Order: sequence, then C-alpha cells, then structure tokens
Amino acid sequence: MQTAVASGASDDRDIIGLLRAGERERAFAQLLERYEGKIFRLCCALLRDRAQAEDVTQESLIRIWKALDRYDERAALSTWIYAISRNRCLSALERKRTLESLADGEVAAAVEQVAATDAEPPAAEQSELLRELVDLLPERLRRTLLLFYYEGRSTAEVAQMLGCPEGTVKTHLFRARAALAEQLRRRGLDDPQLWLESDR
Amino acid sequence: MSGSERIESELERALDAALARTLTPPALPIGLRARVQAALARGTDSDAELWTVRARIEREQREQLAELERSYVRLRRRTLATLIGAAFASGTAVALLLPWLTLRFGTYTPLVLAGGGAVAGLVLAAAILRERRSLQF
Repeated sequence: MQTAVASGASDDRDIIGLLRAGERERAFAQLLERYEGKIFRLCCALLRDRAQAEDVTQESLIRIWKALDRYDERAALSTWIYAISRNRCLSALERKRTLESLADGEVAAAVEQVAATDAEPPAAEQSELLRELVDLLPERLRRTLLLFYYEGRSTAEVAQMLGCPEGTVKTHLFRARAALAEQLRRRGLDDPQLWLESDR
Repeated sequence: MSGSERIESELERALDAALARTLTPPALPIGLRARVQAALARGTDSDAELWTVRARIEREQREQLAELERSYVRLRRRTLATLIGAAFASGTAVALLLPWLTLRFGTYTPLVLAGGGAVAGLVLAAAILRERRSLQF
C-alpha cells in the first residue's frame, strides 16, 4: 500500500522537474492528466453531489494552476493538490449548509432532486441496498469507504487524499464494514452466499 | 477457526466483493478538461489585464508620492529663504531708519519699532489669510 503512494510521489518528479525548469504549462498538463480523476473522486466522496463535485473539481484545478508558482516542495505535490481540493470542498459544503439553513424545504428539496437526477440508474437490488446502507454511515466512515474502493483499495492513497494518518483510515474502514455487517445481520441478510451470488 | 468465525470471515469477504462491485469510481465528466482549460485561458487574459492595471496604478501612486515629497521640500526651502530674507531686510531697514526714529521718537523708539513690527506682521497675516480664502471653493 505504501508502495503505491511512494511510486506516485516519485512519478511526480517529472512534474516538479518541469516546474523547476519554468515549464508551467507542460507541468500543469501532466498534473491534469494524472490528478483530475483523483480530484473528482475526492470531491464526489466529500460532497455527495456529482454536479457540485464537477464544479468544485474545476475550481480546484484553477486554484492549483494559479498557485503552481508558489509550490515550494515542502510537502509532496499530491499532498499539496489534495489539500487545495479538500479546502475547496469544505468551502462548498459551507456554502451549501448556509443555503440550506437559509432556505425552507424548497431549496433542500431542489438539491436532493438534483442529486437524484444525477444518480445512476438502479442496479441489482443488493447493490442498491448496499449503496443505501453506505449512505447511512457516519460521514467520516462513508467518505473513507468510498475513496478506498474508488482508489483500488489503497489505504495510503486514501490517507493522503483525506489528509489523515493511514491508521485512521484503517480504523474507519474496520468500523464502516462492521456497521454494514451489523445492518445486514439486522435485516437477516448476513448470509455470505447472498452477496457472493449477486457477484455472478 | 470456529463455525461462526468462518461465517464472519466469509461475510467480510463477500461484503468486500459486493462493495467493490457497488462502489465503482464515478466516471470523469465529459469535457471537464476542456472546460478547465477554457476557464484558465479566460482567467489568464483577465489576470494579465488586472496585473497591467495594478502595475499602472502603483506606478502612478509612486509618481504622485514622489511629486508630493518634492513639493514639500521646495515649500520648506522657500519658507526658510523667505524668513531669512525677511530677517535681513528688517535688520537693514531698522539699521537705516534707527537714527531718524531716535530723533523723532526719543525713548519711545523701541516701542515704535515693536509696534511697527507687529502691524507689519498683522498686515502680512491678513494678506495670507485673504489669499488662502480666495483659493477655497
């Protein structure tokens, strides 16, 4: 797991090299290629709203471009990029909270409607149920679990994206799985075959 | 491994597989990169414009400050020169007029000189005040 991030950081040497050579445009093009997907997935996990995640991803990338000259290599490039993206997400969440607190049910309903429109078409029943259960998890567990599977089960990558220790990610994952298993037990759906069968 | 532990472990594995199947990464929005690049192009243009305006305003401000500084120094020099000139002129005038004043006013000469100086000062102050008032809107 550590290796994934370590290789990621070493891959960023090319971008840092371009920055040192003053080739900002080329460095940003490489950065865009490598990180746009990761930033988008991070935004999706943090914001729960695909349309908003798209806007915030764009906003984050523009921020990164503007601040690229000031990157001083004190932190890994990926850490720096994720920190900017997380901050943009937090600002967006703050704006959304203000909007929801100002509005009566109308705006909140509209926001939910947007989220619903963006959702993928209903898949298998089990997957749908699992998705609902994941959505019911406490926020920090939910976003950790989402990013873990989005990023190919890399706890190190998730830790870097969320800006927390890897141990915390592992604890959150353990708690999230335990909570999901408990919910399945309560619903009498804890037969492993049930979940393996739907895999076929 | 006991039966319940084995089932537990199997459930975990099955859940992990089901989660991996369900929580697939969202597809990147179509045209996101193009939109970012377009926004950056717009932003770069407006940034450059902003920097030009900012640089111009800063340059103008620097020039105005320098001009104010120069005016202040000029004013101080002029004031000093006026004071020295006035002192010399007064001294010369008094030196020239003293014999005549002594003959005419006797022991009151110092009072007459002080009174004359005071009147001249008041007249000068009134003239300056009048000039300043005429400058106001």
